[in-house]
Amino acid sequence: MSLRRSMAGLGDCEFLVRRARELVKEDTCAARAWLITARTLYPQDFNIQYEMYNIERNAERTASAGRLLYDMFVNFSEQPVVWREIGVITAALRNDLQDKQTQFLRGLFEALPGRVQCEMLLKATEQCFNTLERAEMLLLLLRRFPETVVQHGVSLGETLLEAESLEDQDSPVNCFRKLFVCDVLPLIINNPDVRLPSSLLYKYLNKAVEFYINYVTRSPQTDPQHQGSQDTSDLLSPTKRSSQKYIIEGLTEKSSQILDPWDRLFKILSVVGRRCEWQMDKSTRNFNDLFHRVKELCRYISNFDNEANAKYKNQVVYSTTLIFFKSVFQYISAIQPSLFQGPNTPSQVPIVLLEDISNVFSEVDISSGKHIHKRRKLADSREKTMSSDDEDLSGKGRSRHVIVNKNDLANTNEVLESFKTARECWDILHSSEALDKEFSRICIPWKTDTWLWLRIFLTDMVIYQGQHKKAINSLHLMASLQGSHLPTQQMMTQGNLEQQRSTIQLAACHFALGEYKLTCEKILELMNFIVPPPQEVSKTREEQSKVKPKFRKGFDLKLLPCTSKCVMPYCLQLLLASIKLRAFSDNRDDMALGHLIVLLQHAWPRGENLFLKAIGKICQQGNFQYENFFNYITNVDMLEEFAYLRTQEGGKIHLELIPNQGVLLKHHTVTRGITKGVKEDFRLAMERQVSRCAENLMVVLHRFCINEKILLLQCLA
Amino acid sequence: MMSDIRHSLLRRDALSAAKEVLYHLDIYFSSQLQNAPVPMVEKGPIELLEEFIFQIPKDRGSHSKRLTAMQELQLLEILCNYFQDQTKEPVRQVIFSSLFSPQGSKADEQRMALLGKLTSMAVAVCRLPVLECAASWLQRTPAVYCVRLAKALVGDYCGLVPGSIQTLKQIFNVSPRFCCQFITAVAALYDMSTEELIPPHDLLEMIVSWIFEDPRLILITFLNTPITANLPIGYLDFSPLMGLVRWCVIAPLAYRRKQKAAGGGPVVEEQNLYSKLHLSVLQGLMVLQTHLTEKSLYGRLALILFDQLVPLVEELGQLCEELNPLNAEQEMELALDRLAQALQVSMATGALLCTRDDLRTLCARLPHNNLMQLVVSGPVQPQPAHPSLTPAYYPHIHTPPLGYPTLPAHAALPTHAALPTHTALPTHAALPTHTAIPTHTPIPAHAALPTHTALPTHPALPAHAALPAHPALPGHPVQTFMPGMTFPFRPMR
Repeated sequence: MSLRRSMAGLGDCEFLVRRARELVKEDTCAARAWLITARTLYPQDFNIQYEMYNIERNAERTASAGRLLYDMFVNFSEQPVVWREIGVITAALRNDLQDKQTQFLRGLFEALPGRVQCEMLLKATEQCFNTLERAEMLLLLLRRFPETVVQHGVSLGETLLEAESLEDQDSPVNCFRKLFVCDVLPLIINNPDVRLPSSLLYKYLNKAVEFYINYVTRSPQTDPQHQGSQDTSDLLSPTKRSSQKYIIEGLTEKSSQILDPWDRLFKILSVVGRRCEWQMDKSTRNFNDLFHRVKELCRYISNFDNEANAKYKNQVVYSTTLIFFKSVFQYISAIQPSLFQGPNTPSQVPIVLLEDISNVFSEVDISSGKHIHKRRKLADSREKTMSSDDEDLSGKGRSRHVIVNKNDLANTNEVLESFKTARECWDILHSSEALDKEFSRICIPWKTDTWLWLRIFLTDMVIYQGQHKKAINSLHLMASLQGSHLPTQQMMTQGNLEQQRSTIQLAACHFALGEYKLTCEKILELMNFIVPPPQEVSKTREEQSKVKPKFRKGFDLKLLPCTSKCVMPYCLQLLLASIKLRAFSDNRDDMALGHLIVLLQHAWPRGENLFLKAIGKICQQGNFQYENFFNYITNVDMLEEFAYLRTQEGGKIHLELIPNQGVLLKHHTVTRGITKGVKEDFRLAMERQVSRCAENLMVVLHRFCINEKILLLQCLA
Repeated sequence: MMSDIRHSLLRRDALSAAKEVLYHLDIYFSSQLQNAPVPMVEKGPIELLEEFIFQIPKDRGSHSKRLTAMQELQLLEILCNYFQDQTKEPVRQVIFSSLFSPQGSKADEQRMALLGKLTSMAVAVCRLPVLECAASWLQRTPAVYCVRLAKALVGDYCGLVPGSIQTLKQIFNVSPRFCCQFITAVAALYDMSTEELIPPHDLLEMIVSWIFEDPRLILITFLNTPITANLPIGYLDFSPLMGLVRWCVIAPLAYRRKQKAAGGGPVVEEQNLYSKLHLSVLQGLMVLQTHLTEKSLYGRLALILFDQLVPLVEELGQLCEELNPLNAEQEMELALDRLAQALQVSMATGALLCTRDDLRTLCARLPHNNLMQLVVSGPVQPQPAHPSLTPAYYPHIHTPPLGYPTLPAHAALPTHAALPTHTALPTHAALPTHTAIPTHTPIPAHAALPTHTALPTHPALPAHAALPAHPALPGHPVQTFMPGMTFPFRPMR
């Protein structure tokens, strides 16, 4: 009997819902009236309520739909349909979509009273078994209801960190860490009711710093999707590159975008600092204040190992680490913007830090070479006691001048300031064993030794300090990093020598160490990548730097754009400087002298003195043999000078400048008038040469480097 | 005193005398209100008003002076301005009541004519004080007069100039209380008993748009009125609910009948309006339940009387018989569905207090209808009688955007004096009730003295509140309209 009754009841509900469904299209109001009636008859029936909800939902009436949803949530929480619906709504809250349906669902949720939202999110979270979704759901809750942070904040954070390690993420820039650092952590540390031990705060700070640094310095190729669509023109335009959407796997595009990462990181640092009772002013607002505070602390606290100073040690290490990496980042993003994704300064050419060698044309050659050796020794001695008070070099090192052409680097002062700050930070971090140890403890798990951009900075730093041996080691390390870092895009842009950056620096370092053959090797290797610039423009460049002759004592550095146009002249000068010593050594070396003269054509007439010195040496020798003469010398002044040397007035110097001239000459002595024939050949060659003087000298010299590679290396052996 | 005033007024011209009489009576009632919370409205002031506002000569010999149209307009302006300027609600109410409460005298014709014009003017120029007074008037004046006022307004706004209904429509935002009373009066006027008594389209459209926008509108008067156990017969209902239920139920057949007679096409647009209206009524009932429950009145106070249903059901039955069932099957089905729905929801929400057996008897003679069958037999699993024991379901309406102004109930009640008999209810001991008076028999103003003696038993009556918190219902504040109409989420399990 009772079964029959309940069966009949079921029939009633079906009848009522069916009637409503029949009516809904032609007369929604009637359908709703049926359902209201039905619900007063059978308030426990789920289908009636669900039908009501559907009508309201389809009509996008947020408030009434929300109310019905809540009824279902309370009274029919066992219904899978309800959960599916709540799932759909919470998904709408999490995604970025702006379509009408998503917006309606968000509005629907917003129409619910706060307490209900809270309950709903919590229950929905309980039902969710995917860590990421669960975390996002909980985050919705924590953001809306700060009071829930106390209960759920830290455990959510720990869950995310655990998930990160469980899922074996290879980069700290992953969805779990992002949610932890950017979304959960600020909620936790900014909530005064959440009590956290210092150790945990430092652990979280460490995670945050690691994340943000890796995020900021992420390389542009992270997303393979965009690789295929990239063409050369894309690469040429950094603005285009930066417009690529970066998406952290598992997150939405919106969630993947982090604005002002450094500011956010700094805020976390200052909150953690305050919570750990660091020495901070309320006014500590920027990196400068922070840095100032660190330097003061270092001045007052001699022993950071002291237990009482532990928190200050942490303050110094974390603050300095942060400032260090930010400064390095700023420096590197100025000199090699392509390394990073993001808003790079538009159309900025990569730049390389090099020893300035514009003094190669000076006559005080041999002694200058010695000077370099001397400097090297001093520098190497400093290497061992890097932060000791090496008056001579640290003093000099700090005040070394870096020449930059304003056209190559718009914000020169800022870049040099970042470079300087980074070096200072490095010094602080290595100024005591305690700090050094702590800094290493931070860096090792981060695998900072694999960070190419940091390696580039460290290299530049030692170059700046004049520690060329160290620099060479560093450059070799860099090469191994680059191998993994640089995919096929090498040499896609003509004349851009970005990828040869380290080779240029290697050459310069070898030169500074007096290792001329190695210098030459590196330069000739480089020449393969160089595209001779159309016209010799280095003249104006040199003239510009000539403006400040006082600084140019040979201790200066320069930041040079990594383009063929700028690098080739530098290479030629290095080559010239390397060969110069050999050419003017006491032992006769016509080959070296010839090479030197070829190279002196570059930047003519700056090398006029050296050329005259070479001529002097030739006169002294009484003869000169250089069979490549007519291949590479097109300078009219030089040609004239040589023509003159053969004359009576010139000293009747015996010149063997035509290939195989010696053999010919021996052959000719047998018969009369042979010398006359040789003379004729020379004259014709000279005439032909004069007609070549309009040729692009850079092309000539480039060919010289490529073709005469073996001879050049030979003469430096 | 009154005769002094009268003498000073006699010398004046009609308009300045009208102005002056208002001035004197204003002072007179203001001082009365200071001494007694409910002033006596005696014969004197009413006679003065009849003479100087309605131009009824006191001396039998003299002629009735008729105002010119221009003068009448000026008089309306004087009245309108008076109510606008007087800031004290109780004083306004006493004056309005003294002016327009029917006295069973010859002057009543002029009263009604002037009241119609004054209200019409107040609608046109959005005079809230006049509309509020009119709302109170509609509540305490026998229905026959209320219907006349409604007729006057409908005549002015639904017939004369096309589009003028828009002026009336916007009153919704000015005085919802007036709107509610107006609907009740209109529903009483157009009872659909004949073709002529089908509401005009514009009027229907306006009323539906009001209620559809916010179904709580139909409850305003009820919620602003002190609780009385029974509705006074011969007066308008506390809500238009019953009248609107009648509209919705009868409409399909009434229009069908009209269509049959006129041979016109189908009236889809109208039927959609009734469908909307029907839904809104059900929603209003759901809101009502919340209030009744909150105030512990569920099951104790009926808004739809069983007795009122009897003629409705009878009429429906007759219409069904009258119209050829073969031709009007759909309309009949719709009418019966609506009736069944209205009965079920009224009963479930506590608006109608009766048993299902009563319903079975009531509807026994109606043609068969599945839903009606279901409603009459009730749900299979019997539901608990009291809502506090049932799982809660919530009013199926959207949260309304507009907050009604908190209005004092019809404040001072001079009508107490004018009203017939007030017999105290056993349950609500101190509350006066209007007991049955077959038709409105004019009763002299001084009558009903027994209740007057009862009045002093409300010692703490504040000047404004008509009837303060009911002693028997301590939790029910008289005035707060829809207290915190917030989201009524109450998980009940």
